[in-house]
Amino acid sequence: MSNTPVITAKNLITRYTIGHGLLTKKAHLNAVDDISLTIEKGSFFGLVGESGSGKTTLGRSLLRAAPISDGEVIYQDDEVRYDLRTLGKDELKDYRKRAQLIFQDPYAALSPRMTVRDIIAEPLEVMGLTKSREETDARVREIAAKCRLNLEHLRRFPHAFSGGQRQRISIARALVSDPKFIVADESVAALDVSIQADVLNLLKTIQKDFGISFLFISHDLSVVAHVCDHVAVMYLGRLVETAPTRALFSRPRHPYTSALLSAIPSLDPDDTNTAEKLEGEIPSPTNPPSGCKFHTRCRFARDTCKAEVPKLRELAPDHFVSCHFAEEFDFTREVAPAAAPAPA
Amino acid sequence: MAETTGPQGGLIDVEDDKERRAKEAYFTASQSQLIWARFKKNRTAMVSASVLIFLILVGIFASFLSPYDPSIAGRDEEYTNGAPQIPRFCDEAGCSMRPFIYGVKRERSLATNFRWVTTIDTEDRRYVQWFVQGWEYRFLGIPLSVHLFGVDEGKIHLFGTDDTGKDIFSRTLHAIYTSLAVGTLGVLISFVMALVIGGIAGYFGGWIDGVIQMITDAIRTVPAIPLFMALAAFLPPEMSSEARFFFISIILGLIGWPTLARRVRTHLLVERNQEYVLAAQLCGASPPHIIRRHLLPSFTSYIIVDLVISFPYMVLSETALSFIGLGLKDPVNSLGVMLQNTTSADVLLNYQWYFIPVIFFIALVMAFVYVGDGLRDAADPYAGTKK
Amino acid sequence: MTTSLISVKDLTIRFQTDEGLITAVENVSFDIAPGEVLGLVGESGSGKSVTAKSLMQLNGGNTEYDPASRITLNTPERGTVEVLNLRRERDMEVIRGGAISMIFQEPMASFAPAITVGKQMVEQLMIHTDMSKAQAEDLSIEMLDRVGIPDARKRFGQYAFEFSGGMRQRAMIAMALSTKPRLLIADEPTTALDVTIQAQVIDLMKDLVDEFGMGILFITHDLGVIAQTADQVAVMYLGKLVETGTVRQVINTPSHPYTQGLLDALPKLSDLDAPLTPVPGDIPSPLNRPKGCVFHTRCSKAIPGRCQTEVPRYTRRADGHDVACHLVEEGALEGAAQ
Repeated sequence: MSNTPVITAKNLITRYTIGHGLLTKKAHLNAVDDISLTIEKGSFFGLVGESGSGKTTLGRSLLRAAPISDGEVIYQDDEVRYDLRTLGKDELKDYRKRAQLIFQDPYAALSPRMTVRDIIAEPLEVMGLTKSREETDARVREIAAKCRLNLEHLRRFPHAFSGGQRQRISIARALVSDPKFIVADESVAALDVSIQADVLNLLKTIQKDFGISFLFISHDLSVVAHVCDHVAVMYLGRLVETAPTRALFSRPRHPYTSALLSAIPSLDPDDTNTAEKLEGEIPSPTNPPSGCKFHTRCRFARDTCKAEVPKLRELAPDHFVSCHFAEEFDFTREVAPAAAPAPA
Repeated sequence: MAETTGPQGGLIDVEDDKERRAKEAYFTASQSQLIWARFKKNRTAMVSASVLIFLILVGIFASFLSPYDPSIAGRDEEYTNGAPQIPRFCDEAGCSMRPFIYGVKRERSLATNFRWVTTIDTEDRRYVQWFVQGWEYRFLGIPLSVHLFGVDEGKIHLFGTDDTGKDIFSRTLHAIYTSLAVGTLGVLISFVMALVIGGIAGYFGGWIDGVIQMITDAIRTVPAIPLFMALAAFLPPEMSSEARFFFISIILGLIGWPTLARRVRTHLLVERNQEYVLAAQLCGASPPHIIRRHLLPSFTSYIIVDLVISFPYMVLSETALSFIGLGLKDPVNSLGVMLQNTTSADVLLNYQWYFIPVIFFIALVMAFVYVGDGLRDAADPYAGTKK
Repeated sequence: MTTSLISVKDLTIRFQTDEGLITAVENVSFDIAPGEVLGLVGESGSGKSVTAKSLMQLNGGNTEYDPASRITLNTPERGTVEVLNLRRERDMEVIRGGAISMIFQEPMASFAPAITVGKQMVEQLMIHTDMSKAQAEDLSIEMLDRVGIPDARKRFGQYAFEFSGGMRQRAMIAMALSTKPRLLIADEPTTALDVTIQAQVIDLMKDLVDEFGMGILFITHDLGVIAQTADQVAVMYLGKLVETGTVRQVINTPSHPYTQGLLDALPKLSDLDAPLTPVPGDIPSPLNRPKGCVFHTRCSKAIPGRCQTEVPRYTRRADGHDVACHLVEEGALEGAAQ
């Protein structure tokens, strides 16, 4: 993998104002709070967190679909370099071509009133990427074939398709403008297990064939573990840990990451480890805890955690953690292939 | 649930070709085709739709279908407050291929206490004739005088006559036309206003939406009846019936828009936040493109439904206005005027056929309501496919 | 099993729809003993919820049960009840909210928005038991406390929308258990929850089984959740049970190609390099039920000519481990699980 970054975020903050009625007091909420990360070219970057952690907002900020209130986000490819916060109108149009989004709900993301062909062709027509109808058709067919859609089905409307097929249509649409960076927001969460693997494999193939960089947002750590090469864990708008996948899963450094991992129900009926389960729930982002935002649920929390905000520190090569006492913990886990339950 | 799935490998050989083509037709069906397919399955709505289409056609061809001029010019002086005459084929004197009615004699004498008394003369058969020449009317600007039916001598009154001898059948048909016309005009006016005002509020949102909603709500709180009364007092009594007609339509339109505008706004606000609209924005689509390609198509079906549903309220309002004497007035024929004529005790006791137009009025309103309901149920073909 | 709590035999459910008669569930049989958790696994559209609702006769008016279907409930309090023979609403009270309780994926839907959680619990208790109001209140608060809701007395007087997702799910469990049901039906109770909260709810349910000794029908699509909660597992595909057995038998030695496919498709944390193998194709529309073995359209190992036409019978692989597959019948699939 080359080490050129596609997305570099520095101290990114996305702030929303809530309660803008006449009589209600205005309040601010940092959905994304001081996040710095780098997504390298051609990588499959995973972003995990519970609901309310701000992962969707972060994904949208990187696409300029949510505001960038503070900080800096740089997009860079072979041709252009954009500072996303100060993008002009024409530049934004060009950026839309280069960065795309794949949605979670394959039912809501496709207009029910357009045929599959029109849905996939819309970005081409809107951006004026093709000059004639024939050219558009050719491009649509090429991409549809890549996404393993039956070309005879292009005349159909979305209602004729199942969830997995719809998600492939969404993917084809996102790919048609030849983007360099794709945010996949919970793109397999709504799919059945047997179909989910198919869509994941398709995304991996696309990443390899086209050299596209992915930001893969998911709440499902086992999915992230299988497809991503780099993972970032979010909690209440902040990054708590980011590392190469294997490092993160074999030796998580943050208590939250470790707790998340042990909360995944094991496929082995005899493995009933409940020691590390998290108590309580994620606090409201409108009234976040002081200091380390995780201290209310952390079983290792001390007085320092309530007072001081931990910085993201590099503990091992490329392994960043924001915890005051990360060095003291050893959460090493077994992730070697040999550990698979041996079938009879 | 994955309700519809393409034919899978092993199934293809089992399926015969016809079945496959039927399925492909379903898969490639556009939204309007799906709506129609669902509407067809709703029997109540289909029956109502037939009734509605029948009534509309009757309204359009009212002049051709009615044997006499519904105005004072077409009155039958010999048969005022006359009972309906029902054509028959047979009587004691034998049968006839051609339907006939009996002639009537009227008499007022000491014996009848100086009231007009009508006696049916069963000896005097009057045969129904088809495509007879009668009073002149214009249809699409062409002067015509041919009518569907009439009788060889005297006059035929299927629904009877009123106190001035006007044919209630002819009046009813023309009333349907008038009421539909007032309704259409009113709906059109309110629709255009609703689309513009609701569209602005829904698309821009924010404080514009807030201000427009406040105005809309203010208008909605104006009570209708006192407003009508004020307007009626303002109308000069010498105003021609045509001018009055337009005025009533405009009032109805101006009163009716807030409800529709609110619906347009709600549709827009909902659709604007759909993921596929965001998807279009993310591929750089401009607002005009999104409005044209996504928002308008997404609510045309709902708007049609809303129009159909609001139509009976227009007809009802017109009827109500005319009924309380503020809207159209005799000699203009509208369903409201006809309804007003049924209010006297005399009618209730002696001349019950005055109520025949009321049946048409109820049928018209109910047909609209049921067609509207059926359309609304059919308009969301995707309701069942989501989990 | 000598004393099963509920016994389902040859359950076949059809729905009359606009498009025609749909078979949602076909020849499903299972038993649940007191204190036992049966995990019912299947993808969306496999008929698991329909099966669960039939135990309480909650399916809509267009439902047709096959005359041969039997659902027998056996409780110490009420003796033996044939659920499908209950016709009148009054008789149904035996099963609804009495001997059987149900919890759902979306807890918000089962709380009335304008009534406080506590009031709803008390009302339900007063309908189904002969408790006084004060007793019902005490029990409700105790139950809320038992399911791990902090400050239960205060929460008792709050509305469901004031609860977070996990709290709502706990409150629903408290409400479902307050009538001391013999059988609890849990329909995807953890699917909408975050994994940390899911772990809490699973632990809670395990504790409650131990404490109350009731039977649970646990419906989910998540095999990991099943592995952690269930004693027995039934795998459902297009309305048919394709494999049943103890949780270890089904998870460790899956024998039906569909069960194997599900396990192969599942990303496993214990082996990050294992390829994810999808089950090919899509689940067919229930209008288009495949003949023969329902799974043959997606089965890579289907025997040509046989699986398309012949409905497979159950083959016993081990004690209590039944599989409906021609391959297993022929012994061609011995220990084929990867």
